[in-house]
Amino acid sequence: MKQADAKKEKPPVVQTELWVENRLGLHARPVAKLIALAQQFEGTTLTLEKDGAKADVRNLLSVLALDCPQGTRLVLKAVGPQAREAAAVISGLFARKFGEP
Amino acid sequence: MIQKNRVLQGIGASPGIVLGPAQVLSPREGGAQVTGRLLYSPQEVAAEQERFRQAVEQTAQEMKRLKQEIPRELQEHSHILDLHLIILRDPMLLKETLRFIQEQNLNAERALYQAFQKIKELFQRIGDPYIQGRVQDVEEVYRRLMGQLTGRGSRGLLGLGRPAIVVARDLSPAETTQMSASQVLGFITERGGKTSHTAIIANSLEIPAVVGLDGATLEIVSGEEIIVDGLTGLVILNPDEGMRRTYAARLEEFGEFKAQLAQGCALPAATSDGQPIRVLANIELPEEVSLAQKYGADGVGLYRTEFLYLRQRSLPTEEELFEDYRKVVAAMAPLPVTIRTLDIGGDKFLSPLAYPTEMNPALGLRAIRFSLKEQKIFRVQLKAILRASAFGKVRVMFPLISSLRELQEGRRLLEEVKEDLAREGRAFKPDLPVGAMIEVPAAVTLAGLLAQQADFFSIGTNDLIQYALAIDRVNKQVADMYQPLHPAVMRMVQQVVQAGREAGISVAMCGEMAGEPLYIPVLLGLGVEELSMNALAIPLVKRVIRLISLAEAREMARQALARATVEEVNDYVTREMDRRYPEIFRFAHSLSTHPGI
Repeated sequence: MKQADAKKEKPPVVQTELWVENRLGLHARPVAKLIALAQQFEGTTLTLEKDGAKADVRNLLSVLALDCPQGTRLVLKAVGPQAREAAAVISGLFARKFGEP
Repeated sequence: MIQKNRVLQGIGASPGIVLGPAQVLSPREGGAQVTGRLLYSPQEVAAEQERFRQAVEQTAQEMKRLKQEIPRELQEHSHILDLHLIILRDPMLLKETLRFIQEQNLNAERALYQAFQKIKELFQRIGDPYIQGRVQDVEEVYRRLMGQLTGRGSRGLLGLGRPAIVVARDLSPAETTQMSASQVLGFITERGGKTSHTAIIANSLEIPAVVGLDGATLEIVSGEEIIVDGLTGLVILNPDEGMRRTYAARLEEFGEFKAQLAQGCALPAATSDGQPIRVLANIELPEEVSLAQKYGADGVGLYRTEFLYLRQRSLPTEEELFEDYRKVVAAMAPLPVTIRTLDIGGDKFLSPLAYPTEMNPALGLRAIRFSLKEQKIFRVQLKAILRASAFGKVRVMFPLISSLRELQEGRRLLEEVKEDLAREGRAFKPDLPVGAMIEVPAAVTLAGLLAQQADFFSIGTNDLIQYALAIDRVNKQVADMYQPLHPAVMRMVQQVVQAGREAGISVAMCGEMAGEPLYIPVLLGLGVEELSMNALAIPLVKRVIRLISLAEAREMARQALARATVEEVNDYVTREMDRRYPEIFRFAHSLSTHPGI
């Protein structure tokens, strides 16, 4: 019974694969765009993972430090009430190559 | 006696050549070790943390002020300061410093120094040089903060006195944006690479720059005459008469090349034997219209419309879409704007639509397939496009057409929307041209049939190459097999052009391939008459078009088609272009543009 309750309260978790497709990779400007998008999902944790290394999406320097040139595969993990929406928006931004060549 | 013609080699970062007096800037404060002072009481720790927080606030104010003061021609770089504002509050800098003050009883300066060193170490482990280079931004924020803490402020660049070539260990982005082209003739920095802010900004100011020149501030003396060659990265100290003459000649040659590019970019392009070729820009945001205009686009050949749908959680309203489209259409009028309807899949949406994430989105429910399934969303977009058509010259095109039915369905919906608008008494152009994007091999095969019901074709090469060769460009294992000049791709382009010609409709191309100078002659030879590309590529592409005759281009296309493998085609085209147009490739390499950070 207790277990079932705990399960119910668990916030949604969405995990999705992302590819860095723009020529210059995940440099400062794309990350700034990423942060701007992430701001609207307060209360949802957003983590990027690359080969076991993790970074908080809202933390510019930690995302830069993941070192993601063109062709990098990342896994985005979103946990929180808006996990689905957040994952969708962020996937969109990656798919559009952050508006870069 | 002063040695003449001493040559230093750096990295050419912004093309151009200039002769003038050097002005060496002294090294900045804050780069050196910072001495620590221990705090002895919790009160002292609290006061020190408060002092640091205030310095952060003041630095934020200073950055905001600097952003206001950026000269108009550099507005497009104001995002650098936004970026610095984010870094200023990044936990690695802010929280770490506060933690060092708290846990190690350090004064704010020393704590900040340690936090910064930690970030620097982290960045040193980054393999990608461009991303690693962004440590410059952290350093810039660090210096400003340190300047606030120590009360020394940041170094100003004003007061050069007379126009000069600035020589410095490095220039921060903020410092670079404060410079005006009238005072600064050129830059030389010891640090930085081709992708540093200094390079990017020097490029947009069109000031010659050499970066990465070790020891420049020691070798060069303020006041001495120097030549900066931003094309080759050479710096010549105290040039003698002969050297000055050599460089004057080189400068003239380069000036001519640049003038031709600049002058040419405002005018329509035609081949040397008189075949006009339309050169258009690809845009994503209304703000990008100014770039299209600056680089002389003959219109917008691809207006991507996904952004509004991804930016917000609710679906954009007809009014919101209409406002964006109208802005672009009115600004470009009387030149055409080609609006591509939505090119994303259901899984990318924020709205209440519940589409699952797809295993293989490139082959999934996206683009016109999605629009025809979610007709409500599609109708709203078509309505906004039609309403915008009253304000200029609009064309609409459907992405990822793979059957005749999709084109017919799209057109039918458009007709229905026209009736709605007419009933509402809204203005629109009833004869809005409707195009099909050719980016699926099935559409190439059906081009003859599609041409009967389309007003124009636009070949989207990015997707067409991906689907035709079954290559995912992002997959490193196969990325090198993504080849625009693949014999199969060239034949497909040829087939589409022929189908268009027989039906009397125009055939455009709007993928990345269309903006690459190397491919232009073959494309023209295959019969493509309209090219749409990143605005920055326009001047060079127009130049290539003017140099070649349609007869030559046809011959090159014929020769290229006669080769059986892509290796042979690439080899032929590269050799031929180098032989025929050495003048393009001589300077073109140093003129390639990067998007900036």
